[in-house]
Order: sequence, then C-alpha cells, then structure tokens
Amino acid sequence: MANLKDIKRQIGSVSNTQKTTRAMKLVSTAKLRRAEELAKRSRLFADKTNEMIGEIAARIKCSKVGGIESRFFAEIDAPKMIDIVFVTADKGLCGGFNIQTIKAVKKVMAEYKDKKVKVRLRGIGKKGIEFFKYNEVELLDAVRDLSSAPDMTRSSEFISRSINDFNDGVIDGVYIIYNGYKNIITQELHVNKVLPANSSDFDCKDENKRSQLEVEAEDEEKMLDSLIVKYVEYNMYYALIDSVAAEHSARMQAMDAATNNAKEMVKTLNVKYNKARQESITTELIEIISGVESMK
Amino acid sequence: METLKLEILTPSGLIFNGEALTVTLPGEEGEFGVLPKHASLTTLLTAGVIDVEKADKSVESVVVNWGVVQVDEEKVVVLVDGAVAIRGENENEIASALEDAKKLVKDIADSSSAIATVSAKIESAAQKLI
Repeated sequence: MANLKDIKRQIGSVSNTQKTTRAMKLVSTAKLRRAEELAKRSRLFADKTNEMIGEIAARIKCSKVGGIESRFFAEIDAPKMIDIVFVTADKGLCGGFNIQTIKAVKKVMAEYKDKKVKVRLRGIGKKGIEFFKYNEVELLDAVRDLSSAPDMTRSSEFISRSINDFNDGVIDGVYIIYNGYKNIITQELHVNKVLPANSSDFDCKDENKRSQLEVEAEDEEKMLDSLIVKYVEYNMYYALIDSVAAEHSARMQAMDAATNNAKEMVKTLNVKYNKARQESITTELIEIISGVESMK
Repeated sequence: METLKLEILTPSGLIFNGEALTVTLPGEEGEFGVLPKHASLTTLLTAGVIDVEKADKSVESVVVNWGVVQVDEEKVVVLVDGAVAIRGENENEIASALEDAKKLVKDIADSSSAIATVSAKIESAAQKLI
C-alpha cells in the first residue's frame, strides 16, 4: 500500500510542477510580445545606423586620403588588449540561452589569448557574471538588472567606459556578444565587433559608381567621432533589447518543453499507479480466496 | 514633379517614410534645404525642426533633438535620437504633440536662446495646422 501512496504523491508533485511551468510559459509569452515589438521597431534603426557607419568606414578605407585618422575607423594590426562585452539574462530556466552566449565568449577569448592579446571581460546579466565568477575568471565590470530592463541611459553609461578607453588607446577593440532574437522559436548568437568600425560589406569598386561622400561639417573628425559614439551606444542598447526578446522566447520554449515533459510523466505515473492498484487488489483477493480454501 | 524618398528613423521606430518635394533640416551649422538630386552629403543635425513638404504640397513638421542625415541623389535618411511629429486630428492632439516637442527640445538644448528659437518654430508650425 505504501507504494501506492508514494506514486500518488509523486503524481501530485509533478502536476504541481507542470502548473508552475505552464504559468511561466504564459508569463514569458506575454512579455515576449512586448519585447518583440520593441526589438522589431528598433531593428530598423540599428540596421540603418550600421549601414551608414559601414559605408563611411569603407569610404575612408577606400580613399585612404582625406586625412581622417580617427582611431575609430583605423585598422589595428596588432591589438594588445580588447574588451568583450557580453549580455546574458538575469534569470535562468531558459534552456541553453545563457550557456550559448558564455560558450561564444569563451571561444573569442581563447582566440585572442592564442594571439597573446589581453582580454578584458565586461558582463551584463547575473547568469553570465556568476558563471565567470565561479570559474574564477576576472571581470572588469559586472552589471546586474540591466539585461532584464534595458535602459538607454544606463547602457550608454556602461559602454562609454569602453569607448573612452578605446579612444585613449588603452584597448584596441570592442566586441559585443549576445544571444539575439530571430523568430519565436530560434535565437541567433551575435558576435559583433563594434570598434573599430568594420567595413567588410562594402566593395571599393562601387566607390566610383556612386558620387563622393561629402561630409559637411567644420570639423569632420569631430562629427564622425560623435556619430560613432552614438553608433556604439545604440548597438549596445539594441543588444540589450534583442537579448530580452530572445530570453523570453527561449524561456517560453523551455517552459513549453517542461510542461510537455511533465504531462508525459504524469501519464506514465498514472499507468504505474493503476498497475500497482490492480496488483494490490489481486493480492487481496488471492489472500481472501486462499483463506477460504484453507477453512474448508 | 520630382520627389525624393525621405525616411526619418528613431530608436523607437519609423516616424516618416514617404515621398517629399523638399526637406528643410536643422544642420549643425545652420538650416539647409534639400531638393531631389541633391549631391551626397552626410552631416549632423542639432535640436530643431525638420520641415517636410510632401508630394501633395502639405507641410509636416517634425521636432528632433539630435541626429545625423545622409543625403544622396535619390533619398534622404535621417537618424535621430528623439523626435515628435507635430500632427493630429484636432486641437487637443496638436496641443499635446506641442507639449511633447517642447519638452524634447528643453532636455537637449543648452542655451536658452536656442530653446527660444526652436520653440518659436514649433509654435508657428502648430499654428499652421490649427
């Protein structure tokens, strides 16, 4: 009989878990809708900004003259130290979402370590920070509560430290690594090299076909510099927004899978329970019958 | 009549996307107008008002606080930090847009004379609508 009780208790516990995971899924679905909307609206701006910066960077590279020697656009042959900014979630229970980002960070780190480049890690999001702390990897910066509630002012403040260090020549590159939202069931890992501005997607041969780029400002470099600061700040902010949307979609999926698994488990436990019940009834019957038999 | 393609984008979305006859932009070194087939140019914008003359000759005003504009022969792309379009169905809507616009400019402009100039422009843009 004890066995029957145990199974009953187990069924109760699993279906309670199922209730929780289903609730979490619903919460994530609601949050995802909002985050997705925000990410979609921002994506347009992010794409345009990147396009513009890419084009400017390429034109500077193609022309090679013009006297623009801004560090932001220069190609640095032998970097000595780089910054890796990573964005993870503050909360777990979202499948491989955080671990994917962490793996990518480790990969980029290893690549640069091989080239004898120092790497500074700057983390946003509790999960990533805890991981690296546990593994005793030093973090230059650790910011919590920002990845769950993206805020332009705070993110700009955070990334401006890297921009300033880059401008002062302390570091020679800045990466932003995050897991972004692709669609409701897929997340896409982004490893973005934001500084120096890259120009790979622009063909120099096109240069002649299009009219010259004319920068109309008294101080060209100042203009480009303030533009690139905005560009990096915005990229950071967009990474956060995109990451939130991805986090919710990942959690939604994970919780959906968990709910299904729980359902499956309740089913098998029920079968087990019924079997055990039948068994005990049979045993009881046999006992009674054999008792009656022996009385004869 | 010839038109140019104009896009005004903010971090929170697209606020203008369409054909325009002329665009007047608040450049960092002064206001400038853009007509179709304008030479390529990239420059910064300061706090001010973008006036768009649309294909039907009506004028729409958009207040911006900071931005960058990329002009080429066919299109004009304006990327701004914050923007408020002065438009609305009735006086109330226009009045609230006006409030938002003034607040936006106040946050960014550092000199009171700049605020005053822009405010005056916003007022006159709204006046035309009412």
